[in-house]
This record gives sequence, C-alpha cells and structure tokens, in this order.
Amino acid sequence: MADVTLSDIRKSYGAVKTIHGVDLDIKNGEFVVLVGPSGCGKSTLLRMIAGLETITGGTLNIGDRVVNDLDPKDRDIAMVFQSYALYPHMTVATNMGFSLEHRGASKAEITERVNWAAGILGLGNLLDRYPRQLSGGQRQRVAMGRAIVRNPQVFLFDEPLSNLDAKLRVVMRGEIKALHQKLKTTTIYVTHDQVEAMTMADRIVVLNGGRVEQIGAPLDLYDRPANQFVAGFIGSPSMNFIEGKITEAGFQTSGVVLPLPKSINTAMGQAAVYGIRPEHFRLSDHPGHAGVPAEIVLIEPMGPETQVTMKLGGNQVTGVFRERINSAPGEVMHVSPEVGSIHLFSEDGDTRLN
Amino acid sequence: MAVAQENARPEGRSSSPFWTIARRDSLAGFLFIAPQLIGIVVFVLIPLGLVFWYSLHEWNVLANTFTYTGAQNYRMLMEDENLLEVLGATAIFSAGLVIFNLSLALLLAVLLNQKLAGIAVFRTLFFSPVVVSLVAWTIVWGFLLQKNGGINGMLLTFGIEGPNWLREETTAMISVIVVQVFKNVGLNMILFLAALQGVPKELYEAARIDGAPAFKQFRRITLPLISPTILLTSIITIVGSLQVFAQIAVLTQGGPGLSTTVLVYYLYQQAFQFHFFGYGSTLSILLFAIVAILTFAQWQMRKRIVFYES
Amino acid sequence: MRADISPRTKVALYGVMCVLLIPFVFPTWWMVTSSLKPISDIFAFPPQLVPQSYDWTTYSKVFELQPFVQQYWNSAYIAAVVTVGTMIISSMAGYAFARIRFPYANAVFMIVLLGLLIPSEVTIVPLFQMFLKAGMVNTHWPLILVPIFGAPSVFATFVMRQFFVTLPAELEEAARVDGLGRFKIFTRIALPLAKPALASVAIFTFLHSWNLFLEPIVFLSSAEMFTLPQALTQYTDAYGGPMWNIQLAAATLTALPVLIVFVIAQKQFVEGLAHTGLKG
Repeated sequence: MADVTLSDIRKSYGAVKTIHGVDLDIKNGEFVVLVGPSGCGKSTLLRMIAGLETITGGTLNIGDRVVNDLDPKDRDIAMVFQSYALYPHMTVATNMGFSLEHRGASKAEITERVNWAAGILGLGNLLDRYPRQLSGGQRQRVAMGRAIVRNPQVFLFDEPLSNLDAKLRVVMRGEIKALHQKLKTTTIYVTHDQVEAMTMADRIVVLNGGRVEQIGAPLDLYDRPANQFVAGFIGSPSMNFIEGKITEAGFQTSGVVLPLPKSINTAMGQAAVYGIRPEHFRLSDHPGHAGVPAEIVLIEPMGPETQVTMKLGGNQVTGVFRERINSAPGEVMHVSPEVGSIHLFSEDGDTRLN
Repeated sequence: MAVAQENARPEGRSSSPFWTIARRDSLAGFLFIAPQLIGIVVFVLIPLGLVFWYSLHEWNVLANTFTYTGAQNYRMLMEDENLLEVLGATAIFSAGLVIFNLSLALLLAVLLNQKLAGIAVFRTLFFSPVVVSLVAWTIVWGFLLQKNGGINGMLLTFGIEGPNWLREETTAMISVIVVQVFKNVGLNMILFLAALQGVPKELYEAARIDGAPAFKQFRRITLPLISPTILLTSIITIVGSLQVFAQIAVLTQGGPGLSTTVLVYYLYQQAFQFHFFGYGSTLSILLFAIVAILTFAQWQMRKRIVFYES
Repeated sequence: MRADISPRTKVALYGVMCVLLIPFVFPTWWMVTSSLKPISDIFAFPPQLVPQSYDWTTYSKVFELQPFVQQYWNSAYIAAVVTVGTMIISSMAGYAFARIRFPYANAVFMIVLLGLLIPSEVTIVPLFQMFLKAGMVNTHWPLILVPIFGAPSVFATFVMRQFFVTLPAELEEAARVDGLGRFKIFTRIALPLAKPALASVAIFTFLHSWNLFLEPIVFLSSAEMFTLPQALTQYTDAYGGPMWNIQLAAATLTALPVLIVFVIAQKQFVEGLAHTGLKG
C-alpha cells in the first residue's frame, strides 16, 4: 500500500496536448474516482499511472519512488480493464496466477494466493473454467481476482462496470466497495458514470478537457460545485441552469424573478447563471402566494417521485417532486426554489458566486 | 522532463534513462522484423536489382561472355516476333482464367451458402483439388485429355468424336485454363463463402419486405457488400495466373506452336533452355512491369467498384 | 438467404451441385483407378469407371525406376522445414507490424509488401546465379531459403498481421501489468491466440512448397535430389513419352496422403482459410 502523488502531470501527442498539468495527492488506502465526460483524459491519466502511456511532463510518485520511466511491472500496481482482458486461452486459475508466475513465485505459493483470492471473490468452483464459459459478472470477478492475488500497492480500475447490465452494475459496485473496505489498498477508479463516482469514492476528481475541475468528497461536490461544469456533471437528473441578471428584487430572467440566496459575492446588475437542482423545487400549495408560475410541458411519474418538465417564464427546467402531480401538460402550477440550495455562477460558468 | 526526473530520481532505479519503454519497444520491433526484412533484401530486392543489371547485358553462358550492351535487349524485346504471340497467349490465359475462376467461385459459394443438409460434404469435395498435388492433378488431366483418353472415351459413348484437346490451338488454351480453374477455384470459393456469410441477414429480410426479388437482392445487396472480397480475389487470381508454369510445362510445353506459351514459360525457355540469361532477365523485367501495373490498376479501381469497406 | 427452401428447389440444388462436382472429383477417382489397371486397359473403350482387373506391379515399378522414397522424403522434409520456418518468421514480422510502434514501420512494411509484387519467377535468373556462386545449385537450400525468407513468406506475414491487428490491445496491456516483456507477450499471449491464423499460414505454405515446380527444375539436376512434382514428370519411356500407368501410380502416392489428411482435418482446413483475414 502506498500514497500516489501526481505533480504537474502532462501528456501530449506531438503538438496536441491532452493532459494539462494535473496535481493530485492520493493518500494510502484512499478510494479515488476520476470522473468526466468521454475524452476528458481520465483514462489517459490512469494509463499513465499504470505505465501504459508515457508521461510527457511532471512527476509521478508511487510510495517514495518516482516511477515515470518504470515499466508497468515494476510499478507494483494491478489493473482491471474495461473489457476485463482475461487471457482467453487460460483457465481462471492460470489467469489469476499468471502475474505471480512471472515474478518467480513458487507453484505452492501461486496456488495459495489464487485460492485466497478465489475465496474472497467466491470463485472457488470456477477455477478450472475458461473465460468464455463465464458470465459477465463472473469475468468481472476474475479480473479483480487477478488484480488482488499479488497484493499490489495500488489498484487501478478502468471503467470496469461499463460492460455490465444496469442491475449487475449495482451489485458489482457494492462488491468492489466491499473489497476495498476489506483490503484497504489504495484505489484509483475511472468512470464516466457520476452515480458510480458518488457511491464509491472517498474523493472524486472531476476532469474536463485534460484539466482538473474540482477535487472533493462526493457530497461536497454535490453541495458546493466549484463551477458550472461540475454542477452540471454531478447529480442526476442534472442541475437546471438559467441565465439572467442579479437585481435587488431577485434573479431577473425572462418572464420571472427567482429568489436569491443571502450571501452573494458579486455586484448588483451583474449577469450570471442561476443553478438549481430538480429536487430543490417545492410545490407551492397556495397559488399566488410565494411560488413562481410554471407551465407544465411533460409529466413523467417514476413511482416514488415525479419528474416534471416545465417552463418558468422562457426557461425550460426539470423538477423532481415527492408528491404526485395531478395536473396535465399545458396547465400551470406554482413552484418555489429552495433558497438555501441555490448555486450562482459567473456568466462564463467558471466561478461560483455564492 | 529529463531535468525534473534527474532531480527526483532516487537511487537504485531499475531502468537506465536511455532505454526508455518506447526505445526498448522500437528495438524489439526491429528485431522481430529483421529476419523478414533481411530476407526480402537478399532474396527479392537484390535479385530485382540484378535482374535489371543483367537485362542490360549480352550474356552467353556457354561462351562465358558478359558484355554490357545497354538497351539492346530491350530493342530485341520490341522486335521479338514471338513475343507478341506470347503476350497474346498470356492475356487470353489470364483473362479466361480470372473470369471463369471468379464466376465459378461465386456460383459455388452461393450454392454452398444455402441451408441444405450435407452441405459441408459438398464444400469439402469442391475444395479437395486445392490439396491435390499440382503436378499430380495436371498429369491426370493430361491423361484424361489425350486423344484416346477418358474424356473422349466418354464422349464417344454418346457418339461424339472429341478433338485432340492438347494438340489443337483453341482447345489447348481452353484445356490449360479449365485444368487450372478446377484445381484452385476452391480457394476463392471459400473466401466468397466467408464474405457471403458476413452479409447481415437483416438486409435480406428488409429487402424481402421491400419486395425485391431474389436476383435483385443478389445484385443490389450481395454483390456490393462482398465487393472488397471480389477485388481482393481478382488481384490474387490475376497475379497468380501470371505465374502459372507447371501446368503449361506438363500439359502442352507451350504448344501447339506458341499458342499456350505464356510469359513465364517463355522466360524459362529463353533463360534455362536456350541459356539467354540477358534476354531472360529482360523478360523478367517485363513480367514485373505487368504485375506491378495490374496490381496498381486494381488498387485504383478499388475506389470505384468497392462500395463498402469493412 | 431464405429461411425455407421448397423440396423441389432442394432437389434441383442437389442436382446442380452433383453435376458441378464431376470435374472436381472424377479426376482423382480416375487417377487412382487407372493406376490400378493393367497398361492394356487404361485407354480401353468404353472407359472402365471401375477397373476390370488389377495390376499391382505398376506400384513396384514406381520405386524401381527412380529413388522415389528419397524423393518423397525430399519433398516432405523441405515442405516441413519451410512451413515451420515461415510460421516463425511471418508471425514475428506480422506481430511487429501489427502491434509494435517503431520508427519507419510503414516504410519497412511497404518494402516487405513489395515481395507480393515480385513473384519469384521474376527473380529466378539472378537467384540461380546467386545460388550458383554460393555452391548451392543441386542442393535443397534454394527451395528452403527462398520460400522462408523471400517473396512467398510475405503473404504469410500479411495474413499474420491482419490477425494480430484484431487482437484486443487490453490483453497485451494486462500482460504488461502482469510483468511480461515484449517477447513473452508474443510467445505466451499473442501466439497461442493466433492458432487459427497460424493454421492457415501452415496450410498455404505447405501446399506452396509441396507444389513447387519451376524452382526444382531450375535448381536440381540429379534424381536423388528431386522433389515429387519434378519426379512425377520423369517417368517417361525412351522416346520421352509418359509411362501413363506408372505416372498415375506415382501421382496417386503423391496426392493421396495429403488428401486423406485434408479429409480428416477439413474443418480446420477450410475454416482456417476463411479466417485468414482475407475477408476484406
């Protein structure tokens, strides 16, 4: 187990820069998730940590060693790939023991380690099978088994759940998390799925265009996103953004005025972006009382909650309500934003204003 | 980058700075291809250079003379009256072979693509001549095509008197083409069959819903979708047809007259029977030029006839 | 193409295929049966589809007239060495072209592909001179070295490259993380997975070497060095006319073993060829 430290890590292919100086301190035993849209550089960053991509600039430490120029095998890491990358011509046991074999472990030692890992992952009765004879979830477990057998300092996961169906994904999410709690090995996990990031991470790193947008605990990112990108990326359905102007009366936008939070560090009359999560709209029981009129566009009942697409003045937004909505599209209801949960961003979206 | 690493590098690092991962991989790459590359240089490129060099010389093996004569061999090539006949025979042979081979291969592949019981047995039998020794196959056909051989014997039982196949100009050419096609059509058949099986079933279902009749489905869906394979097999078959030697040597020795003397056979005669190595080399250059031009032309056609690239 | 075929169409299809089969199957049948007939019967009219009487002495003459066992061995061992050699050379080169990034890779690949453009017939004159200078004429070296290293192996390299290109990159990355270097990745991961491509390379190469005709007659001059294709044409009478029954017996001995191996392993044969990556 070890700390992983990235200092000003850069990557370019010729003149094309893809990673623009990433700094990140990962503490021993931490579960860090790199998340971002496709093409944000998260996989490249992970592969640079693994040693599968060269590092163009900066320093990468694993433990107290600089590993920039080391082969993957010398970095003491293990990786779980998106496609699992199980060797099709080897049994589960051989797959799992393969790395030990190439580190000069004795046969007895390999058997012992493989059996230990198989025990943890419930693979005991599958050891003689070939990968093609396994289900998706079983392959996933074998891939993890292959990673844990040699007790590396760092686990790297590259979108390991993206090939599974939705149900199995939830199950395996839990298993990976449980495994981490048992082994307490430093883990770096890449995903494009913010739900995975929220549920699994100790800390989330949000990447966009090869830059770090924000680093923080899942709920910190949810509660106080540093900019419009993070605000839009974390949370599902995603946050509504309304463009307008900050005035004494409130947030002035086309057709309506929305309530503003108390502490705002910007001048009156400033153009800004008003962010509100769908779950932070409240139904106003008394029309004309406190709410804003919202014309219903679409109602999608989910069971526990109801998702409503509606128009606040000229702005189409989404709201999620615990209540059941008995109105029809075209009708007008009244909603009010929770003032304490409002996010204000600068016009360009780069900075948070409250 | 280098400076930062030098400063941060603790003692006992396992990799030296020069042998980076990329450099080691490049070295591995060169080592992996080295045997092949050296082989190509020694057994293909140097001989190709030599053949050009030889073609500029008058070379009498028996008198052991080797004299530089510049373009004289090439002038001889232009004035060689036999050569026109040889090139004509080569063209007829190659064109006949490619057309007959590809159409038969496609027909067989379409038949074998039907869902019929025991189709694998037919596939095996159609393919079997490919694995029969080439000269053995040619000898049997030579035997069958004798004036009093099996084929004429069969014809005679129906009251037809067959020609002396290998001794008449037209039938000799037809014979060598047919013998070669039946020998090797199995290869193209298998490639076409694989291509046909790669055409998504949904396309045919969609076409049937659209009401397209079978022949139209074949012309509008099957042919365009397997066009890459058609192009590839036609290149392989044409270039292969220019190398056909054993069949000619065994069946007709280029005769009657020069009617089946294809370029390779003429080259062999000039160089190894008449010992005109210089002129033989000039013919080699001609053969090389024809292969190169044909391959290039077909590669260019790719853009026009291939509708779909997998 | 169609889900259901009517019984009438089925009968028609079987009929067409059976007729088409005749030129593919009958020559082999005719070769075997004629080789067993006495010389007086082989041109008999009407043709005997099944021998009326048998003459086995033809087969002993095959061995009396030429060192046929030696010639058989020559062909077999040359084909075996060429096949194994080509598999090694072409899988290594094909792997490097498909999976290793190294400088000038494309230029080198183009040079190697030139081998496809230059059939060995083009270079036969200088090759003869080169082997003459090296004292290798009337030895088997030209028949071994040229196919393994020269133009014929380029096709094999191309087939192997097409296969290795399709190998998932993550498998190799997993192997690197597991501690394997390039050579071990090649031998432990890539090669075992390349069995179908290797099989088709082996088949092509074996048949190519087994059928070689121009090269043997150019390079070999003594009967005990001959290979089978060349030997078959040497069963001639004093006037140079073929001794048909003996030729056919020798041809049968040449063709049948390969044919039997093919029938036993035909599934791998045919499917191997279909998987050469030649599909386009």
